[in-house]
Amino acid sequence: MYDHLDELEAQSIYIFREAYRKFENLAMLYSIGKDSTTMIHLARKAFFGRIPFPLVHIDTTYKYPEMIAYRDRMAREWGAELIVGRNEEAVTSGMGPERGRLVCCEKLKSEGLTRIIEQKQFNGLFLGIRRDEEGSRAKERVFSPRDKNFEWAYKDQPPELWDQFNTSFEPGTHIRIHPILHWTELNIWEYIQREKIEICGLYFAQNGKRFRSLGCMPCTTPIDSGATTLTEIIEELKTLKDPERAGRAQDQENAYAMQKLRAKGYM
Amino acid sequence: MNQNESLKIVIVGHVDHGKSTLIGRLFYDTGSIPEVRYNEIAATCKAQGRAFEFAYLMDALEEERDQNITIDTASTFFKTAQRPYVIIDAPGHKQFLKNMITGAASADAAILLVDGAEGVREQTRRHAYVLSLLGIRQVVVAINKLDMVNYDRNRFQKVENDIRAFLHSVNIVPSYVVPISARDGENIAKRQGKVPWYKGPTILEALDTFGNVRGDAGAPLRLPVQDVYTWDGKRIYAGRVETGQVNKGDEIIFLPSGKLTTVKTIEKWQETDLSLAGAGECVGITTEDELFVERGEVISRRKRKPVKARKIRASIFWLADRPFQAGKTYTIKLGTAEAQATATAIEERLDSSTLEVTERYAAELLPSEVGKVLFTLKNDIAADLYSDNIRLGRFVIEDGLLIGGGGIIQGLTDESGTSAQRICLNEHLIIGDEGSSVDLAGEGGGIEFDVSTEFLDYLGQGNRVLFRLRDLTQLEPVAHLAFEHDLVFRFSRAAEGINIILYKRGVLDEVVDDVDDGTYI
Ligand SMILES: Nc1nc2c(ncn2[C@@H]2O[C@H](COP(=O)(O)OP(=O)(O)OP(=O)(O)O)[C@@H](O)[C@H]2O)c(=O)[nH]1
Ligand SMILES: [Mg+2]
Repeated sequence: MYDHLDELEAQSIYIFREAYRKFENLAMLYSIGKDSTTMIHLARKAFFGRIPFPLVHIDTTYKYPEMIAYRDRMAREWGAELIVGRNEEAVTSGMGPERGRLVCCEKLKSEGLTRIIEQKQFNGLFLGIRRDEEGSRAKERVFSPRDKNFEWAYKDQPPELWDQFNTSFEPGTHIRIHPILHWTELNIWEYIQREKIEICGLYFAQNGKRFRSLGCMPCTTPIDSGATTLTEIIEELKTLKDPERAGRAQDQENAYAMQKLRAKGYM
Repeated sequence: MNQNESLKIVIVGHVDHGKSTLIGRLFYDTGSIPEVRYNEIAATCKAQGRAFEFAYLMDALEEERDQNITIDTASTFFKTAQRPYVIIDAPGHKQFLKNMITGAASADAAILLVDGAEGVREQTRRHAYVLSLLGIRQVVVAINKLDMVNYDRNRFQKVENDIRAFLHSVNIVPSYVVPISARDGENIAKRQGKVPWYKGPTILEALDTFGNVRGDAGAPLRLPVQDVYTWDGKRIYAGRVETGQVNKGDEIIFLPSGKLTTVKTIEKWQETDLSLAGAGECVGITTEDELFVERGEVISRRKRKPVKARKIRASIFWLADRPFQAGKTYTIKLGTAEAQATATAIEERLDSSTLEVTERYAAELLPSEVGKVLFTLKNDIAADLYSDNIRLGRFVIEDGLLIGGGGIIQGLTDESGTSAQRICLNEHLIIGDEGSSVDLAGEGGGIEFDVSTEFLDYLGQGNRVLFRLRDLTQLEPVAHLAFEHDLVFRFSRAAEGINIILYKRGVLDEVVDDVDDGTYI
């Protein structure tokens, strides 16, 4: 039977194929988390097992070692090209959250991303954001233009309808493509279970704690949980009252932190 | 995991009538707002020195909260025992119509909200018209802010009458008109007892009465080619089945090229031996013959195929800041096809709020206006009338780099200038136990017949053929066929729709001459 997950999957495949056809120089941002790992699975569905563009990971140097080990192992398994980007200048200067979480995110992530896009001349970038994560993401388009300064004109977005996307753009600008924008956190977990997608071990409880959302070590807090299997995670999720990104400190800095970070090019 | 398909609901209506508040309240009353989120909203409202605003659940941008207005559409997710929902908030301000349409275009159903104190306003009407243009027929009306008029029944009825009258003019019959107060939570998820005179459902109950709208398996096959992959020594046509179903072994035609072949395999990653794919599925197709077909071609069956169009007459809505101009050439995108299309004429220019035709043969359309436009295409494109197939009966218009508007197809003409599709009677003749018939009900656009000697011989042997018509426009070619070949032409009332029986005079005349009992054997 064609169910809700099939419907979501088909929509994602359609977006992938549309982007692949329309853009010369594509890349996929790979954050190692459950969402971007699911996104890779969907890309392989769209392209009959292939990942016909490089994966880009922005290394902040603050990720958990388990994440990096998992990333490298999976990239080999998928046969994917992995590009690791890093804002060397900021890293060398000792950038860290003690200088301000939002400054740190902007320097290490947004700017790290900007540099790699400029260097590799990517004009289309897949990102695994979802509308249910947070308020400004709820307002995103599937194909979302970014100007020369990588800024998002969220007050004046172009129309997007009937699965016809804005795929033309001026030189020097790029388009962010969001293949799983319409999925919810619960959908992702149910799909991971159905498709038997291997995810990073940090999502499963150890010593009474597990990560619900994965990020940099200083700014990510695990939740109390005894969920050691996908079934248990899904059951637990249905009872949780906090939002998914409650354990991500940068989101909580101030009322419009995410909106402001994202307007300047953050994921 | 046997979840039902989700249903997408858009909330529309005039600026400030309470659309975002309704959504916030619905979530609050069903315990769907996380506590931290609630606290964050409460803190913002406190800092602003105002009462708790339920609208802030959707209006998350700083600019939106500062001005207390929705700028862009946003989606949120919701679940009842019946099914999962996507709730789409649309902005009401005229300036953000492009965002409203972005939100509404993907919806299966709508809640049209009217402020009970203010009554029907400009965007109430415009949004209602947009719903009808977009083909959204499942509509619930909510009359809001009744707390401001003391839940007065007469006031409610006055507004109800006004909105029903306008909806009638755009062919929408609302399934319910619900008296609500989004602020007080009356008739959202619960009844507070403020409107004892109302016996209908709450908003939450009304949602579950909407029917699913996708996946009509009986519709004719439309599979636009999205891309062609030549991998693993195979040539795979990738695409989504928009309507109908494709089976392994089907004889198919690609349009507009007209190339014929047979489906060899249906492919998905890690799945083998697929025998069919239905509407909504993204698949790959390989064919028996080596064809060189490009993106934009549409796979269908030889019967009930789309029209190879050169001219399109459409109702278009314009959203870009620059006016839409007669005589200018635009890129239109329909399914996966693109074509250069010259706006030959703007036959009618319409105020999308009053529905008044403001001008005939106009030079331009301004943002938010609607027009009846004739396009002449530089290349053929496979298309359907909107009334026949929504998916291939609509398109977007690019203005420069971005999408500037959308269109709903009302007329199609092919290259030869006639709007006719050629129907080969031999191919369409179905000989069954119940008699013989030709089904024209699924043919979009005009038709012309190819008459073969076999077909005439078949009639000459005394056989009768029932023609099932889509509508009265098909009467003429059938009548013409009867006249040309000296056939008896009569109506049959045995079944729904317009049915005509044709047969050769003389063979069985005596038997059925006077009464038409509906049989055609
Ligand atoms: N008294 C009263 N006020 C309401 C009610 N519903 C909404 N409001 C108020 O009306 C104002 C506008 O509400 P919104 O929900 O922002 O209106 P909207 O239709 O979403 O507006 P736009 O999205 O900008 O078109 C807010 O200040 C609400 O508090 C109601 O039922 N009663
Ligand atoms: Mg609003």
